[in-house]
Formats: sequence, structure tokens, C-alpha cells
Amino acid sequence: MRVVIADDEMLLHEGLARLLTDAGVEVAGKAANVPELMRAVRLSRPDVAIVDIRMPPTHTEEGLVAAQQIRTEHAGVGVLVLSHHLESIYAMRLIEEHPQGVGYLLKERVSNIAVLADGLQRIAEGECVIDPTIVSRLVRRPREDSPLTALTDREREVLEQIAEGRSNAAIGQRLYLSPKTVETHIHQIFQKLGLGDEPDSNRRVLAVLAFLRE
Amino acid sequence: MRARHLVAALAAFALGIAALAIASAHPDVTLGGASVAANVALAAAGWALAAAGIVAWVTRPAGSCGPLLTLAGLAWFASELANPAVDSSVAFTLGLVTFAVCPAIVAHAALAYPGGRLASWPERAAVAVAYAGTVGVQGLAAAAVYEPSRQGCSECPDNLVAVASDAGLLDALNRAGVRLGVAWAVALIGVAVWRLARASSAARLLTAPVLVPLIAYLGLVAAGYVHSLGRGYVSNDAVDERLWIGQAVALIALSAGVVLAWVRGRRARTAVTRLVLELAEAPVPGGLRAALAGALADPELEVAYPLTDGGWVDAAGRPVDPAAAPGRATTPLMRGGQAVALLVHRAELLDDPGLVEEVSRAARLALEHERLEAELRAQLEQLRASRARTVEAGDAERRRLERDLHDGAQQRLVVLSLALRLLREQLGPGAADRIDAADAELRAALEDLRALGRGIYPAVLEAEGLAAAIGALAEEAAVPIATGALPRERLAAAVEAAAYFLVAEVVKRARASAVRVAATLERERLLVEVTASGTLDDELIDLGDRIGALDGRLRIDREPDRVAIRAEVPCAS
Repeated sequence: MRVVIADDEMLLHEGLARLLTDAGVEVAGKAANVPELMRAVRLSRPDVAIVDIRMPPTHTEEGLVAAQQIRTEHAGVGVLVLSHHLESIYAMRLIEEHPQGVGYLLKERVSNIAVLADGLQRIAEGECVIDPTIVSRLVRRPREDSPLTALTDREREVLEQIAEGRSNAAIGQRLYLSPKTVETHIHQIFQKLGLGDEPDSNRRVLAVLAFLRE
Repeated sequence: MRARHLVAALAAFALGIAALAIASAHPDVTLGGASVAANVALAAAGWALAAAGIVAWVTRPAGSCGPLLTLAGLAWFASELANPAVDSSVAFTLGLVTFAVCPAIVAHAALAYPGGRLASWPERAAVAVAYAGTVGVQGLAAAAVYEPSRQGCSECPDNLVAVASDAGLLDALNRAGVRLGVAWAVALIGVAVWRLARASSAARLLTAPVLVPLIAYLGLVAAGYVHSLGRGYVSNDAVDERLWIGQAVALIALSAGVVLAWVRGRRARTAVTRLVLELAEAPVPGGLRAALAGALADPELEVAYPLTDGGWVDAAGRPVDPAAAPGRATTPLMRGGQAVALLVHRAELLDDPGLVEEVSRAARLALEHERLEAELRAQLEQLRASRARTVEAGDAERRRLERDLHDGAQQRLVVLSLALRLLREQLGPGAADRIDAADAELRAALEDLRALGRGIYPAVLEAEGLAAAIGALAEEAAVPIATGALPRERLAAAVEAAAYFLVAEVVKRARASAVRVAATLERERLLVEVTASGTLDDELIDLGDRIGALDGRLRIDREPDRVAIRAEVPCAS
């Protein structure tokens, strides 16, 4: 696994690089702004680029724009966006155009190497990764006449796993379910929520997130 | 009509009858007695002048025009008094002194029309010379050296001002008077023509009915003097008589001009007065403007009111620039020497000072009312602007704080968490539990900071706009929020902030089972409707401030189990 890191905070930069190196991830380049990031991606061809959402000059959403650019220009390079924003709109914006090989994690995940490594791995494999905190906020937010009340606890767990971007196999593994059972659950969920067909695992993330955000 | 007007009318009537009697008794030495036509001319011109003078006197008591015209009518008759048939030496002497003064008074009155004052020094000089020539030279000086009994008029009454009898000097004075007469008559024609040529078209409309007959009259007077140059004194031959009848006709026309202007002005004033009276019943801002615009037939007429700081505002309190545009003129409406309002109107519309005075007087109450209202509105507007600046400065500060938290404290906590993690690796399993506990604290702190930043000024509001921010609010709120239509376009930051914080505050303070939010853009206004199924704890005072600062309106309808909040904020986006 090879990554480049784009973050204009030097200390975070260094710490993250050390932590990743210790975990056996090769840090192939570092960048403090978007042009440096694009050059690093072009030169080192990493598996995943780790990008802070706020970068110079405006420190607003440069990271998101850079992520789209990387996904468009370098099909083989995944992007993990790190952000302080809990609001799902930013994650939606990221996966709307390219739901494959992208991830949106809260910034504090950098110190949880297990979650980080898992996320990087899934992104490198072309999956889509959404921070569990964001998903659980969406699932648990109060609703009037919530259609989610029709779901069983297990189905709700499966729904969260789908929204986090996991494939059927991964869901089965995490929840100790057989592939057949996972499929049944997913079928049930989509029926109960009136979501129509079940597209591939990346497209369905979009559908489920859009449903939860309504 | 007061007693003095009545006295003047009676005097003119009596003097006219007397003049007719005198002229008929001794037609050979008068102009007014030679024929029936002359009789009619004598009576008609004098009474016409007096009548017009009294009309002007009553309607414009402040000006000197009315009394002057009345006096001119009397002077017209007075020229008949220097007649042997007069049996009073006072009247005879008066006739000797004033027989020539009529043109001077007529010119004075007509040039002073309608304001009542001579406007320029050439006018004043020409009128002064006319008085000096007629009363001074032809009148007093000549009479002083004329003893009727010694100079061929045995039946004449005594001349009370005679001090000597000197036929030679009398002849010289008469000649001088005639020459001077040609001079001042021509000079007066000059200033009258100049006045007419220079006047604006509206002013000309007003003064031409008076000035044109004046010029004709003075022309005939000048012709009479020229005719007299040869013989050296004024007399009453056939030419003189024809010229004199012409003068009478011109004076009747002049009098008619004065009355005509009065009738026309009265019509306009009646319209103004009526409309102002209508206004008094239901004054609304801008109402006076519309009423005056209608009455004065100038749809673009504007009314501006002075502020104490020297600025001008319209009835709604908005600042206006009273500088006149091309083709527009400004007229101050004065009260107690101070401008209480300024009319910006079509140039020439208010050249008639009488009309301006009338407008001021008739509209005084309404004007005063509107001026005070305008001042109040202007102050309110200033207050609102100041409040808007305060809110804006507060928002800027909030945004800065949120950014500082995000880029500073939150970032440091993440770095710290990372450092703890690295430390945990180094220290090995012995310290793991304690470090994990510290890390959990740190995450909680991070969570708190994030909530704090959102409460201060959500980054998503600044970056993504109102709809996204309300969507984000719905994700974190403890109450279910159902969103209806929300504007997708970006609005002014202050408008977005006002709408967002309104919703956020209601969500925070409502003890409700659900909150519904919708916002629509309608005719440059953002309409925000928030309905809480439940109760609302407090008044939304600071929100009223925010919305008031944008000149918006906030309405809260409370029912037992439902609170509906409706805010309307102008947004010219």
C-alpha cells in the first residue's frame, strides 16, 4: 500500500506518516497544498491519496475539489478525504460523482490506525468509505413517522454497514452472517424503505445516504 | 374684503362720477369730455383699474400691487380735476399736481406684478424718473409758478401751491416735462420688454396679460409726449384724444389681465386646497406628494424634508438629493423663515409666488405632519442601518471564531490525539489503558468544540448556503425537522444568517414533537415559515433584532399546542 498525504498542518503530517509507516504503509509523498498534491500523485502514483478537506488558499473545500480532480485524472488512485465536518453534505458531495475508490473520514480517525488502515484498504480496492459516525448520526436522527421503525435491529445494522460503503461480503464478515442471509436482509431493507432495486454496492451507498438525508 | 377695500371702491366710484361731471361741464379743457366715446373711456378705464386693484389687494394683501392699481384708477380720474369747472381749490390743486402721474403708477404696479416689488434697479430707476417727471416737474414745479387768475383762467379756483407767477418758467418746465416724458416712457417700455423676454414661459404666462397691455399703454403715452414735443406742453387736440382713448383701452386690457391671472390662480389653488383637505383625513406617507403632483399637474413632483443634520429625505425617510435635475426646479416652502419642505418640480411651475404661498399655507399641517414623520422614519432607518452593521460585525466575528476553533483548537486536538497514539506504541501495553482513557477525553473535547463551532456560525452555512445548513441542522437536532421548499440559490450572507439562526433558535428552544421549516423567495423577499408542534420557551428577542436590522418582519402566532413563526426579509439578490 502506497499513499501520499496532503495536509498543511506539519505536525499532523509527520505524526500520520510515522503511524502509517509503522503499520506497513509506504508514504510515497507529502503535500501542503493542491498543486503539490497533484504533482505528488502524478509522480508517485500512490494507491490512495490522503487529503485534508481544508487547504490553502481559502481553507474551505479545496480538498473535495482536488479529490474529484484526482479521481477524474487518475483512475487508479483512490482518495481519502479527512475532515472535521460531521455534516453529511460534504460526504455526499464527494461520492456523488465518483462513488468508487473514495472515502470520507473524520479527522480524528488518524489516531485509530485500525480504522484508517481498513479504510485505505477498501478505497484501494475500489470501494467507498463513509465515516461510521456520520452514518450513525443519519440513522439515529429523530424523524416523524420514520420508515426506519419498520426495520428490525439486525436490518438496521445492515443498513448502517451499507451506508458506510461495505460490500455484501464485508457486511457478512463484520456481522457474522452468511452471504445468503446478508442478501435477504438487504432485499428486505430495500423493500421496506421503498428503494427499488439494489444496485452495486457503491451506487447503493448513494441511494441509501440520499434516503437517510431526506 | 375689509373696510379699506370698500372705502377705496367707493372713492373710485365717487371720483369717477365726479370726473365725468367735470369733464362734461367743461369739455374744451379735458380729454374725457369731448365725446360719448371719451366719456365711456374715462369711466371704464378708471373703474377697471380700481376694480382690478381691489381684487389684487384682497387676494394678495402682502403685495403693493393692489393698492397701486387702485391708486392708478384714482389718478386716472384725478387728471380731470385740473379743470376750471372744479369749484374746490383743493381738488383743483390736486389735479394740477397729479394730472400726469397715472402712467407712472400704472407702470409701477404692472412691473411690480405679481410679487409687489420692483425686481431690478433699472425698473426702480425708470419708475423713479417717471414719478419725478410727472409729479415733480409736470406737477409740483409747474404748479408752483402757475397763478391761474394771472395767467388767463379767471374762473379757475385758487392754486394752493402757487408761490409765483412766471409764464416763462412754466413754459420751460412744461417743455422739460414733455421731453422727460418721452425719455421715461421709452425707458419703461424697455424694462417691460426686457422683463417679458427674460421670463420663463410659466412666468410669462402669468405676467404677459399685464405686461403686454402696459407696453401698449406706455407706447401711446410716449406717442402723446412725442406729439407734444412741438408745442411744449400736453394738451387735448384730436390726435391727443385718439391716443388717450387708446390708452384707456390698453388700461382696460391690463385690468382684465390682472383679473384673469387671479381667476386662473384661484382655480389651481382650489385644486391644491381641496386635495390637501382630502389628505388631512387620511394622511399616508407620500400622499401629500401625490396630491400636490396631481393638483399642480406635475406627475414627477417630489417633496423633500430637511433633517437637522442638513440632509434631505422623502416622506418615507429615505435620503434624497434635492439638487435640481435639468428641467426641474426647487422651491422651498417656508414657515417662520425656515424651509419646512422643498418641492422639486417642473421648472416654471411655481414661478407665481402667490401660488407657492398658497400651497405652503394650505398644506402646512399636512407638510408639518409629513416632515415630522419623515424625520422619524429617517432616524429609524439610521437606527436600522446601525443595527445591521452591529449584526454584520457580530457575524463576521462569529465566522472568525468558528474558523479559529476549526483551524486552531480542533486541529491541535487531532495532533495531540495522534501524539498520544504514538506514545502508546512506544510505552507498550502497560500505559495503554491510561492513554486510551486520555484519548477518549480528547475525543469528547473535540466533539464539544465541533458543536460549539456549529452553534457560533456553521461553516456549512457560509460554504453551502441556507438549504444545506438547515439540512445539517436536521441531522443534529433533538427534534425531528421536516423541511419543505428551501431556496437553492445563495442569498446575502446577512439574510441567510437571519433565516438560519431563526430556525436554529426555534429548534433549540421549542419543546415540540416536530418542527417544520420552509423558506421561499417571493418578489425579492425571503419568506421563512417555521412551525413547531408544541410550545416555545422564550421570546425570540435577538432574532427580532437580526430580522429588524434587515428591515424584515417577524410574526409569532401562538396556539396552545402549536407555534407558527413567520419572518419576511427583503433580499435584493
